[in-house]
Amino acid sequence: MTEKEQKQIFEDWLSQHKALIFKIVRAYAFTVMDQDDLFQEIIIQTWHSIPTFRREASVNTWLYRISLNTAIKWTKKERKHYQSETLEGVQHVLQESRMQTDERLRWLYEEIYKLDEIDRSITLLLLDGFSYKEMASILGITESNVGVKINRIKKQLISKSKKNDHYGI
Amino acid sequence: MEFEELKKIWDAQNNQPLYVINEKAMYNHILSRKKQAHHITNISELLIIFVNIVSGIFVLGMNFFKQSGNLSLYILSAWMFGSALFMLVNRIRRIKGNNQFDRSMSDDLSYAVSLATYQVRISQIMRWNILPIGVFTLLGLWEGGKPIWIAIIVLLFFALTYYAGGWEHTIYKRKKRELEILQKKLDNES
Repeated sequence: MTEKEQKQIFEDWLSQHKALIFKIVRAYAFTVMDQDDLFQEIIIQTWHSIPTFRREASVNTWLYRISLNTAIKWTKKERKHYQSETLEGVQHVLQESRMQTDERLRWLYEEIYKLDEIDRSITLLLLDGFSYKEMASILGITESNVGVKINRIKKQLISKSKKNDHYGI
Repeated sequence: MEFEELKKIWDAQNNQPLYVINEKAMYNHILSRKKQAHHITNISELLIIFVNIVSGIFVLGMNFFKQSGNLSLYILSAWMFGSALFMLVNRIRRIKGNNQFDRSMSDDLSYAVSLATYQVRISQIMRWNILPIGVFTLLGLWEGGKPIWIAIIVLLFFALTYYAGGWEHTIYKRKKRELEILQKKLDNES
């Protein structure tokens, strides 16, 4: 594969599936600096993965797998950025959109962020409509285990939403 | 609120991008990462291989050309070549596993744990490796009739290296433990 072909595929993937990566970045990284750092890690892994993509899975599933695996390992990285760090002189890849975010969505992200790394992955896959079978394949666990975890997470999220009426949830 | 309503809120964001990508910065980043050795393991492995080979050649060359017949120094250089070879073999095995992207999360965590185990093992071996190298070096100095202050400086140097090796080893051990906890969480049916 030539570099030009690789770049073309990368651009196609990114234009069609960037929302997927944004969701994972926001669910796993709290500060803007961390979100930028995680996004960079994910795009690097995505770039390197292109020559090995054999179309056995959909691009969506492939990208989810790479992004989640990267995010999980990224959370265990030694160095993290903090909000107090200077933002000057750093070339950021990711910038927050100026669009007004729905308060209820903000709340949902906060609740997802409070979950442990594994439950976060499952919640993202669940909210993005993956089947139990697809989730089991991405996570590498049994469908029954996926089901058990989903039941627990759903109950938790529903119960929290009931306690947060002021968000209009 | 039911889960379906949460999902509706979630789906609404698909039409409202959360971020804007600075494409120029992104491609610059990809290019720079392609050029550099981005993994700390990569750097430490190459450094260990390089240092062991160069030091081995140096010790062997010095001993050979001086025709001192110092057996400890011959053993020391053989030990260094052996360490470099050991590291090289492990490095090849690690790189082979690195270019796989179709792993499930469970498989990827297992790989990360095995990589962390490898780092823990290497850092431990390299730490213990300082002891025979130190002993052979000191024996070489003694056989060569060098003054005691040189031996003391060399001893201090090895002691510091041994201490620093312990610090590195602790970092790898902690990382491994954290990954194992994650793996356990994923596999647990709860």
